[in-house]
Amino acid sequence: MSARPWLDRETRFIAARGQPACLIDLALSRDIDSHRILKGTGLFYDDLLSNEPYISAQQFHRLIDNSKQLLAADDSAFLFGQQLLPGHYGPTSNVLLHADTLLQALQYLQRFKALLSPLCAPVMRMDEQMLYLYWLDSFESGQNRQFLLEASMAAVTALTRQLAGPNLPWHYHLEYAEPSYIEQYWVHLGEHLRFQSPASFMCLPREHLAGRVRQASAVVGQIAEQQSRQQQEQLAGEESMTDRLFDYLCEYMPRLAGLEQVAADFGMSTATFKRRLQREGTHFQAQLDRARTLIAVDLYLCRGFSNEAVASYLRFNDRTNFRRFLKRLTGRSPNDLRQWLGA
Amino acid sequence: MSTMFALHRFKLLSLLLLANGGALLYLSLGDIKPLAIWSWTDIAGEGGSALLVLVWAGLLLKGRPAGRVTNLLFLGLACLFFSLWMDSLDEFIALPDTLLLDHWLESAPMPLGFVLLTMGIYHWHCEQLAISAQMINRERHFREHRHFDKVTPLGDAGYFRRQLEQALPAAQLNQEPLSLVMLDIDEFSAINRAHGHREGDRVLQLVTQQILLNLRSHDLLCRLAGDRFIVLLPATLEAQAQTLAKELEDSVAHLALKSAGQGERLRISATTVALMARQEDANALLKRINVVMARAKQAPQLQRVGA
Repeated sequence: MSARPWLDRETRFIAARGQPACLIDLALSRDIDSHRILKGTGLFYDDLLSNEPYISAQQFHRLIDNSKQLLAADDSAFLFGQQLLPGHYGPTSNVLLHADTLLQALQYLQRFKALLSPLCAPVMRMDEQMLYLYWLDSFESGQNRQFLLEASMAAVTALTRQLAGPNLPWHYHLEYAEPSYIEQYWVHLGEHLRFQSPASFMCLPREHLAGRVRQASAVVGQIAEQQSRQQQEQLAGEESMTDRLFDYLCEYMPRLAGLEQVAADFGMSTATFKRRLQREGTHFQAQLDRARTLIAVDLYLCRGFSNEAVASYLRFNDRTNFRRFLKRLTGRSPNDLRQWLGA
Repeated sequence: MSTMFALHRFKLLSLLLLANGGALLYLSLGDIKPLAIWSWTDIAGEGGSALLVLVWAGLLLKGRPAGRVTNLLFLGLACLFFSLWMDSLDEFIALPDTLLLDHWLESAPMPLGFVLLTMGIYHWHCEQLAISAQMINRERHFREHRHFDKVTPLGDAGYFRRQLEQALPAAQLNQEPLSLVMLDIDEFSAINRAHGHREGDRVLQLVTQQILLNLRSHDLLCRLAGDRFIVLLPATLEAQAQTLAKELEDSVAHLALKSAGQGERLRISATTVALMARQEDANALLKRINVVMARAKQAPQLQRVGA
């Protein structure tokens, strides 16, 4: 376990002049009053212009709530997302623009997620053919989950289009049912869409990742990387508690002992561990379910595991329990899920 | 809200004075009834109606531009309100039986109000016809304000879907062809990125006007999403639709747009595709044209050669 503390939902680590400013700008361009958009966020418009305020995940969520309500349009998340990456964040934007390849840009995105995508964490997985980019909630987002997914996927789509040309065949898997405004998805993401997926992720054939980025400069890229690392080190932490827990669960899943052991590995008593998770708006079982679902999808997709192999990897003793688990979380039986993902 | 009160202050002030004057007149002529004999059902019925009429008048003034029709409608509603107001006052104030004035104050404004309202509604109807003529190419058969697009003066995807759901069976029944044209501006997000959303929205509005100028009177244009527009072409074969699509593409390419700020030239182009409906429902047709559009966008060079 790394010794750095993690970010909780009240840590003020998001530069308001970064991602929040994009959303505020969108609202102002639609003639929405700045007081109304900032209501309850602890931010003031004048402050944003004259200082460099930082806000917490909770406050950013409030800002998203306000914008959803005031903009009241189906395309808000997509328009917001298109402005997010590479964005205007100085070194961290440059790191993306001057990456050698598309793959490196996406790796930087994952590494500097606290700076580039503070609320929704990208998690990258690869097999021989494909790259998979999963999107995890860093802080329980509840009602804003769909907004964040739309924005994050639009952001990466826009970034990769800018770096490698407009015709990248991204495929999108989304965990919710097809929305009534499906046309927004067609226009902003593309036509390769699957809804009611067991997890939300996007994937791209690997042959598109290796090409060199046209305008990249190696020196500028290295400087930007150093500066971004310094910026990230100045934050209170590098990732949220649930992000950290997800990494831990992925690493220790085959020999996972139980809640007591996990809490001990996080350096606290079981009661404190539970309380900290509760403060983040979640609980251990939910986090375990989330990690297991993603791992199951990943094992089926990337490694072509059989049902039995996945069940035993996830430490299910019998097939019935595994079946029941998948049915509850994805609505599909192991065979159905494997077929669905393979299709 | 403040502009509504500022704009209509004389109307609202006179109504207030009149209502107040009526109340004072009754108070000076009669005595307040004891609480025991107040009839609560009458108070709720008459007082409630008066309040609702007042709400109507408020919504009318807030929602409509000022002018002759608004004045007529407001005067009519004001008369109705006054009559109901005087009617509910005599629930609280006992007037001497010999007095005839109260009958007049209660009954006379009512028919006058109805006459004024009728005149107002008639002129409103005429006004609506004139507006409908201006809505050509943007509206067909029915209106649904919840489906108005927020950026351009067009209907949104929901409105288009409903239109298509009605037009498809009708076309099949009459054995008429029905075609769609989809238009997508190339690299539109670059404009948003370089010039901001406000400029992007303005470009969409200008392109909307440009497309409208190129349509026939019975075509319907909607904004599907983002920078993608869709046109419903009733009684049109695929070849005609393709001609129209090409015309729209050319006309967008020849649009000499300037940015709002510095007047820089903004170069835009659009990709269009045209399709004729087969035996399919609205969803399937929209999905199909979307896939065709995606292919056209994937291979712009090929499409240019073919066009």
